[in-house]
Order: sequence, then C-alpha cells, then structure tokens
Amino acid sequence: MNMNKNRWLITCRLGLLLTLSLGVPAFAQDAKEGKDTDETAAKYSRRGADTCLKCHDEESEFPVFSIFKTKHAVPADKRTPFAKLQCETCHGPIGEHGKMMLRKGQKRAPILNFGPKSAVSFEQQNEICLGCHATDGRIGWKGSSHDQVDVTCTSCHDIHAPRDRVLAKNEQPEVCYNCHKRERAEFYRPSVHPVRFGEMACSECHNTHGAFTASLLARPSLNQTCYGCHPEKRGPFLWEHAPVPEDCALCHAPHGSIHPALLIKRPPWLCQACHSQAGHPSAGLTGAGLPGGTPSAFLLSGACTNCHSQVHGSNHPSGVKLMR
Amino acid sequence: MKTPTKSMLLIVLLGVAPCATAADNNAPELTLPVDTFKWKCKFCTFEEGHSGYAEGGIGHVDDDSFKFGEYTGLNEDGAYFIGDAHYRYRGTEAHYFDLDARNLGLDSRSVEVEGGRQGKYDLFLNYDEIPHFISDSAVTPFIGTGEDVLNLPPGWVRAPTTTGMTALPGSLRQVDIETQRERLGLGIRFIPARKWQSSINARHETKEGTQRIAGAFQFDATQFLQPVDYTTDEFDASATYTGHRLQARFAYYGSQFKNSDESLTFDNPFTSLFGADAGQLALPPDNDFHQLLTSVGYEINKKTRLTADLAVGRGEQDENFLAPTVNPAIVVPTLPRGSLDGRVDTTNANIRINSALTDRWQFNAALRHDDRDNKTPQATYAWVNTDSVLAALRTNLPYSFTTDELNLSADYHLAKRTRVSVGFDHEETERTFQEVEETEDRTLWTKISSQAQDNFSLLMKAELSDRSISNYMAVPEIFPPQNPLMRIYNMADRERVMFGMQVMATPRETVSIGAGVEHAKNDYDRSVIGLLSSDELSVNLDASMQLSEKTSLYVFWNRQQISSKQAGSSTFFSTPNWLQDEDDTFNATGIGFRHTIVKNKIDIGADYAYVRSRGEITVSTVVPDPSFPDLETRLNSLKVYVDYRLKENLSLKGTVWYEDYDTDDWQLDGVQPDTIPNVLTLGETSPSYDLYVVGLSIRYRFNTTMQK
Repeated sequence: MNMNKNRWLITCRLGLLLTLSLGVPAFAQDAKEGKDTDETAAKYSRRGADTCLKCHDEESEFPVFSIFKTKHAVPADKRTPFAKLQCETCHGPIGEHGKMMLRKGQKRAPILNFGPKSAVSFEQQNEICLGCHATDGRIGWKGSSHDQVDVTCTSCHDIHAPRDRVLAKNEQPEVCYNCHKRERAEFYRPSVHPVRFGEMACSECHNTHGAFTASLLARPSLNQTCYGCHPEKRGPFLWEHAPVPEDCALCHAPHGSIHPALLIKRPPWLCQACHSQAGHPSAGLTGAGLPGGTPSAFLLSGACTNCHSQVHGSNHPSGVKLMR
Repeated sequence: MKTPTKSMLLIVLLGVAPCATAADNNAPELTLPVDTFKWKCKFCTFEEGHSGYAEGGIGHVDDDSFKFGEYTGLNEDGAYFIGDAHYRYRGTEAHYFDLDARNLGLDSRSVEVEGGRQGKYDLFLNYDEIPHFISDSAVTPFIGTGEDVLNLPPGWVRAPTTTGMTALPGSLRQVDIETQRERLGLGIRFIPARKWQSSINARHETKEGTQRIAGAFQFDATQFLQPVDYTTDEFDASATYTGHRLQARFAYYGSQFKNSDESLTFDNPFTSLFGADAGQLALPPDNDFHQLLTSVGYEINKKTRLTADLAVGRGEQDENFLAPTVNPAIVVPTLPRGSLDGRVDTTNANIRINSALTDRWQFNAALRHDDRDNKTPQATYAWVNTDSVLAALRTNLPYSFTTDELNLSADYHLAKRTRVSVGFDHEETERTFQEVEETEDRTLWTKISSQAQDNFSLLMKAELSDRSISNYMAVPEIFPPQNPLMRIYNMADRERVMFGMQVMATPRETVSIGAGVEHAKNDYDRSVIGLLSSDELSVNLDASMQLSEKTSLYVFWNRQQISSKQAGSSTFFSTPNWLQDEDDTFNATGIGFRHTIVKNKIDIGADYAYVRSRGEITVSTVVPDPSFPDLETRLNSLKVYVDYRLKENLSLKGTVWYEDYDTDDWQLDGVQPDTIPNVLTLGETSPSYDLYVVGLSIRYRFNTTMQK
C-alpha cells in the first residue's frame, strides 16, 4: 500500500510539474500569439453579412435572421461574431459560395456549415466554437465522453434560434433525449428526480462539456454532486454507514427506480446483499411474512428501516446500529 | 499527499496569475484578416427595444393526489392560477435584460432574471421553488408532527403489541409527508481584463417540511415524521483565462448546511421492560465544506492537448453530541469527547493527454486520483441500545477511500467519419476499516462511432471487466461478525460484460428512426453469500415523422429488465440456505403529434404515454413458502392542447390532461398501523389516482423592438 502511494505521489508531482513548467511559459507565449489563419483576404465577401443576407432572407431555404435575437449578434460586445467577421467568423470565408452567377446546371459551392452533413470534420466544427467558448466547463472537452463519439456543439445548441432550448431548464432534457433514449424512459419510473416535470435539468448533475468523472458529473465526484442538493447526508458522522460516503450509487439509481427512494433494490434484500450477521439480518424472508400470514417487521412497510432508520449515518453517541 | 499537493496548488495559483496578467498587458490587439470597413450590416436586423409575453389563466384539478402533483404542485383538488411571463429588453451598447417566470400559481414557481452589459458584466438573480409531495395517506397518533418533540395523546394505553393499543384507532390523525425547497440565487459575471472572465455566485436554500423516520425500542418500532427545517448556503467564485492555446480556471466553492432541529424526541407507545418511556434520535448535524479547484487546458501543438484539474476540499462537522440516552434509569459512563470534531479532506486530481500522432491515429492517456481522507478522531464510546440497555463499548470507524485510475486508449479514423477506439482502464481502490483493503478493476473496451452516411449513424460499444480483491477479512470492530462467506458486492471479485448499440437513420428528410440495445452482465463469481449476479437489458425504438408541412408525429418505446440473484444463510455461519431472485421490468411507450389546422391560427397537439413496471421477487428456502405478489405500477397519461390565435398578439390556449395511475405494492397494501405486532406504522397506502386537469389561458405578446 505504501509503495503504491509513493508511486502515486511521484506520478502526481511529475504531472503537476509538467503542467507548471508548461503553464508558466505558456501564458507568456499564448498572449503573444494571435489566432493562426491561412485564409487570405481575397476569399472573404465584399460586404460581410450584407452579402449573405441578400440570399439568406426570411423566405430562403435556410432562414438565418433569428441569429439577430441572440447573444452572438451584439456588435457592441467585441467578442461576438458580429463585432468581427460577421457571418464569416463562424462560417469561414465565403469563397466560391458567394459567386453571383452560376452556369446552367452548376450547383452552388457549399459554405462551411455545421451538422452531420457538413463537409468539415466534427473536430473542425467544434474548433470553431471552442475558439471563443473554451472557457469554464469546456476546458475538459477534448478527450471527454461526448468528444469521443463525435458530438458536435450544434448537436445540442441552436445558434440560429431566438431561444436555445438546451439552455432552458424545462426544455433541456428533450435535447439530451435525442441520443439518450433510455434516460427519457427512466424518468417515467415511479421514483425519480423531477426531470420530466421541468424542475431539474440534466446539467444540474452533469457537465456535458467535459468532466473527468465517468458520467460527466458537474462536481469532482459523484457524492460531491449529490451533496449539492442533499448536504444533510455529507456528514461526517460519528457512526458512518460505509457505502454512503463511498458512492451514493451503491444503493441509489439517480435516473429513477421502480423501488422507493430511488433505490436499486428495496429493503430487506438491498441490505442483505451486504449484511449477513447471525439472527434476523440473515433470515430468509418469504411471503409467509405478508399481512395474510405472520406480518413481519423485517419485511413489510420500511422493512429494515422500521428500526434502522438512520441509513445515511448517525451522529448520536448511541447510533452505532443506525437506530438513533 | 495533503501538504505537497496544497503547496503545488499554491505555486500554480500564485505563479500563473501574475504571469498571465503581465503577458496579457504586452499582448498585441487581434487583427482581422480582411478590411471590414465596408461591412455596414445594413440588412442586419439587430434588436433594440422590449418584447415578450404574459400568459394568465385558470386551471382546475379534479381530485387530490400527492403522487400526481409530486413535483409540480398540482396535488390539490381545485382551481389554480396559470401564470407565465417572459420579458426581454435589448438596448444600445450591449445592454440587456431578460426575465422568465414560470408556474407562478403553483408551488413549483420560478423566476429567472439576467441582465447587464454583454461583454462587460452580467448579473443573475433566480428564485425557484421545488415541492416534493411524498405521501398523503400517512396516519399517526402522535401530537406535534412537524416539531422536534412527538407526544402520544392523553389516555394512551401502552401495550406489548400494536393490537393491544386500545387508544390507537381513535387517536389516528392524517399527516402529510412533504417538503418544500425555496432557492434564491444571486450572481455576477464580469470581464476584469482581456481574456479573463470572473464570476461570483451565492445561493441560499431553505427546505422545510417532514420526512419519514422511525424509532425502535429493542424489537419494537414506531414510524413517525421528523421535522425538516434545513438551510443551505453555497458560494462560489471563479476566474477563467481563455487564451488561444491555454485555458485555466481557478475557483473556490463553499457550502454550509444548517439544521434548525438537532434531535427528535418521541414517546414510546409500547410497553417497555427497561423503563424506556421515550427515545431521542439525532437529526442531521450542521456541516460545512470548502474546496479550491483549478483546471488547466493546454494545446502543446496542433495535434496534442493536455488537460489537468485539481480539487482540494475539506468538510467539517462538530456539533455537540446529544446525551447517549434520555432514559433516566440508565447510567452511562462519560463520553470520551463532547463533539466529533469530524473532518474529511478530499482530493480529486486528473491529468489527460490527447494526441493525434498521425491523421488517422489518436492516442489518449489519463490518470485520476480521488481521495477521501477521513481525519475524524477515533474514540471508544459507551452507548445505550435504543434507550433500553447499556451496550458493549464501541469504537467509531472513520472510513477513508482512495481510487487511482489509469486510462489508455487509441482511436483510429477510418474513411469518412468512422472512428474505432480501443481502450484499457485500470482502477485501484483502497479502503480503511473495511473487509477488503484493495480492489483492482481492469477493463478492456472498444467503441465504434460512425456517421459515414449522411442519413445513418451508429454507435457501438463493448467492454470486458474483471475485478480482483486482496484478502477478504472480517472487520474486528464490527460485532456481531458477518458470515465469513459473505462478499459485499462492491468489494467482491466480479466479471462484467457489457455491449451496447444505438443506430439512427433518416431514410427520408421527413423521417427519422432510432433503435438501440444495451446489455450488461455482472457475475460475482467468487461470492457464495451476498449478491451473486446482476443483469440489465435495455431496448429502445423511436421514430419521428413530418407527415406534411402541417403535421408531425413521434413515437417511442423502451423496455428495461434488471435481474439479480443473491443468497443468504439463516443458519449461523453456514452455507447458503435461501436464494432471492428478482426481475424488475419497465416498459414505457409514448406517442404524440402536432398539427396545424389553420396556418398561423389554430394548432393542436396531443401526447400519450403508457408506462408499466413490474417487480417479481422470489425467495426460495428449504421449505416451500408462499410467494410474493408482483410489485406493479401502471400509468396512462394523455395531454391534448389547442392553441388559437385570436389576433396577431393574442392567443388562447386550452389543455385537457387525463392521467390514471395505479400501484400494487405488497410492502404497503394491507399494512395498517397495527398490522405488524411490533411495528406501529404510518399505515400508508400505495398511491393511485384517476383525474383530469383542464386549463384555459390567454397569452399576450408584445414587441416594441426596432430592428436596426
């Protein structure tokens, strides 16, 4: 155990040293560099958005005017596309797409667009957005679960829409369900978090833009994510119930369950998967304990929790058995 | 790990920030690649002015049901106010203001406000209420429900069993189990310098109401309600640097939990042989948690990116202990300390490198370290079992956990948007004071992600995982001991296989079809007692169609089955003599459509969902015993709406919502307060309802925006 810890300590220190030695000169170097570009002025339009909007009006096949209702179209904010190269900030230089006259039968050359039909790779599409938006929770995008299955920013975000559905708590889950079909059904289970009622969004527990945790959680660990709304379980307590501080998901299914309190199984069997002490903890409980037989305290109503009610731990000096 | 890690973090924080700021001050302004002098944007319709809508109306629920209104506030029979509003202001020089208000007439109301000067500062205010209506069928004889002292009514007759409690039937009163959260959040986000963004947020939440709990006296137990009167304050501050190649974020998070009630004292309704006329439970103690976080992302070159983050936290709890017992007949030795002085230090560190070594190959490596170091002092405590009997001394066990994980993977890009990945994960977890010191998980996985065709996408993944453990040994402090054949499943040898596939196809522009399957199997191959195996299978189908310009339709179906087997032995320290088999099945089907009857005038829509769950439990013992009935829930939900535009800015919306829900739950059905001889229960019944909700509202839109 000590050898492993030493090895880990060395690895960690090396890693931090690496980050530090790259980070300090990186700040200095980063500030001196502008964005690399090999586009030449000749490929850009003559009039910027006015060139594009001559064709892309309200009646066109690809209406775009909704962008003007969004934060991307605020010229007074120097960071936004409309303070820079307007449409071409994201869509790249107009090139041949802006050619006025087409020969008979000739198809218009495409502009850089976003989505599954784009000629540009998913990674390149995302690089355009990340050029400005690689902040906060998106620092970990590269190599994250969504990046690894080629999810693009536009898979979830509506840029040319007055209201980006994924940013609204009550509409966000519908966007996620486009790929996460199982989760749509799971939130119909009898015991759930209030996602399908519009009271909770997926992003309250998940950082979909990239996190190191296995399920892209919003906080550094699963338990820390749960304690955000359930801090009364955080403790530490005098008498701890071992699975609780380790991992809430050892007993609970966060997306819902057919059992009460989002439990993966119900007591007594949830408890008997780990407790086998002689006496009542290891009794084989059958239908003989139902109200029609000999009603059993170990089986009915709360089962084990009829007595052991402090399942998350107890700070009572006499709470050894989680009964006080 | 603690001291060197924290000093490293300090060096990063102190060393990096001034460098970045100094470098930034010398940085040249970004120049555009083309002269945009003639780009006047005269066709651009920038917004300036006010717009939004207000919606008001009346709804009516035709029956009471906590289950129906569980999280919405539609739990009571009667009328309710429909109130929603949205307001938007766009001004000159990037000034803006947004307000969204929803469900103003219900206990699930929320208001979100955001405003400021985009690019300079943003201010946020949000107010949110989340109800949780848990049960409306609980009954109790106790007086004082919702308070921290529960007394039995005058004239109460104690008895050895519930059937002997002659005063019980006449003293039962109905009590609601419910909580209400109210959250108020304030925040500011601002740009202190070029390439920097800072934010500060504070959130204050109160949670009030009642929750189920129970108190026992030896083998006699009573269910009742505990008061919930919690306050949680959270605060976070962050500063983020976003450069072309380097991004870094420094943040602080703090959380403080306070409980207005430290204990719940309750009378004993049973006859006690030990003079235990009352008992006292500890309610969750106040605690707090503080954390420093830093994340760094650096593009080493065009093909290689490094990401790292570190979060160092401390949680503390030091509330004064309650007395070991409220039974005056028991003399307890002095406790070794007056409070716990509980402290947990957490460290979560990650580093990841992704590198595209060639155009087709990408390699990824990541290291993760999660540590919960429980520094709570140990001591030996004299304690009283359920306010009845002085018990043998016991030492507290402050559990610590450390997990180290290494992930290695390679991606190969086949022609046109198909990526094949293989990976290996190695995870080691160390635990203190538990049966197993170290567990080791090794996982081999593969994934294929393909969007090679414009109208077809595929995602497939498979994994094989093996867990092995160091010696499994009894924990000496735990008495009585476990059966030596027990293997606690998160610390047991395990073989795991998982396979999943999702496909999505758009055979025509107007049709999209999806199908998926996921199967996972866990085999605890060396466990004899405890969980032996678990299996999960999930299948889904869905389709959406644009039938015409005016009509769209969707349909989905999902089935999940979770099966598990576990064994136990009721004979002291022996091989298993009972087996529990459980099959939980869940089916959800939905269909809906939207149709425009008259363009820009009348729209209708409907959504129907049919959901059914079943839990089948079988316990086989040496003798044939009666089986369990199935646990079932059935939900039918149909919503129909009509949207009628009276004028350009005025529309009428009508909704009719029918829902019926039914449950069969043998743990609750037929269990009255006095059904179990030694447990006085709340007598809850499994929920069911059959009701309508109708609503009529008017929405007024306004728009004074000029389009510049």
